[in-house]
Amino acid sequence: MAPPVRCCVPGERLCSLEEGAAGSGTYTRHGYVCASLAGCLLKTSEDGALPVVSVVRDAESQLLPDVGAVVTCKVCSINSRFAKVHILYIGSTPLKSTFRGTIRREDIRATEKDKVEVYKSFRPGDIVLAKVISLGDMQSNYLLSTAENELGVVVAHSEAGAQMVPISWCEMQCPRTHSKELRKVARVQPEFLQT
Amino acid sequence: MAGLELLSDEGYRVDGRRAGELRKVRARMGVFAQADGSAYIEQGNTKVLAVVYGPHEMRGSRSKALHDRALVNCQYSMATFSTGERKRRPHGDRKSSEMTLHLKQTFEAAILTQLYPRSQIDIYVQVLQADGGNYCASVNAATLATIDAGIPMRDYVCASSAGFIEDTPLADLNYVEEAAGGPQVALALLPKSDQIALLEMNSRLHEDHLDQVIEAAIKACKDIYTVLDQVVREHVHEVTTLLGE
Repeated sequence: MAPPVRCCVPGERLCSLEEGAAGSGTYTRHGYVCASLAGCLLKTSEDGALPVVSVVRDAESQLLPDVGAVVTCKVCSINSRFAKVHILYIGSTPLKSTFRGTIRREDIRATEKDKVEVYKSFRPGDIVLAKVISLGDMQSNYLLSTAENELGVVVAHSEAGAQMVPISWCEMQCPRTHSKELRKVARVQPEFLQT
Repeated sequence: MAGLELLSDEGYRVDGRRAGELRKVRARMGVFAQADGSAYIEQGNTKVLAVVYGPHEMRGSRSKALHDRALVNCQYSMATFSTGERKRRPHGDRKSSEMTLHLKQTFEAAILTQLYPRSQIDIYVQVLQADGGNYCASVNAATLATIDAGIPMRDYVCASSAGFIEDTPLADLNYVEEAAGGPQVALALLPKSDQIALLEMNSRLHEDHLDQVIEAAIKACKDIYTVLDQVVREHVHEVTTLLGE
């Protein structure tokens, strides 16, 4: 039988900073690690280093897209300057509510940025892997980039409505009509393909 | 007040409590499935529901977003049937707007808002039955709902009122004692760190008595804390054992 887990509540003092480092669900006050969530105490110790003290809950608490995070999003509208997307996943964690993001034309690919055209890279309804490059300013929302080989369109449907197969880094083909459509295709890393 | 004795010679109040005694507190967490967090609390005959949504993307005008922390958006409302006389509008009147601001201030002090920049946390509080100490019950309910939602907080926020009648500080006033028009203090406390999140006083009170009234309110807040703590621990325990099976 597993040892009984210790439940903690917000404000509860867990240990001093000398005994452990503050992980998720905790904060530091006056040299002590305190809980900020109600949940179970978890200590993960790596050899040599201080154990990391964190508080975990049953349901993963709401994540926010952070700079550098790889997100999965759905294109909802495009124009000549940018594509608007809804962020659905951060890494492999689904979001409870979607966030809006923008992929600007110059962030679509790394080379020949001035020759990029948005409608040759994305279409509404595409599922895109992108990286968060900025949280945006007052007017704009999350700014995303697909300027990496591993980033870009992963799922797209042709005009005939069939799911297309990638044939190069910039083209996808419809299995039904054999017509080719232009996309900024992602080279999906093998570790993400186990579904 | 003629004829009505708020504190008897034996030291009992109108509802039979001692001066420093609280009303019966009953609370439940997680009463709604669709909200991120929810709670219901009864303090005597005051009954309050609170729900929390978020943190999520800014709703409404995006210009209100704060670039370094989350915006705490509160709404306090009283059900039309909550008072003796039927209310016209449940929220948006002067009293409710003031209460909304107080709740917002209280929870901005307690929630670790800097973890969620440019997002919004919504706290909706509704009073179902008003019998004095509405602010206090609202704060306590919202605390439980926030914990249920898994929003990181520095500490619990516990609130209680205190009054001063016949040279005695009284804790946790009910409607009759509030309506008598004596001095009244509402205090929201972060009990672990003994920090005051909000302090409000109505009517006049001699400076010499202020300390003992605040002392009574702090004592009442700490008593509330032990009750809330028990509720939260039971809830966490329940959830973890359900998960373990």
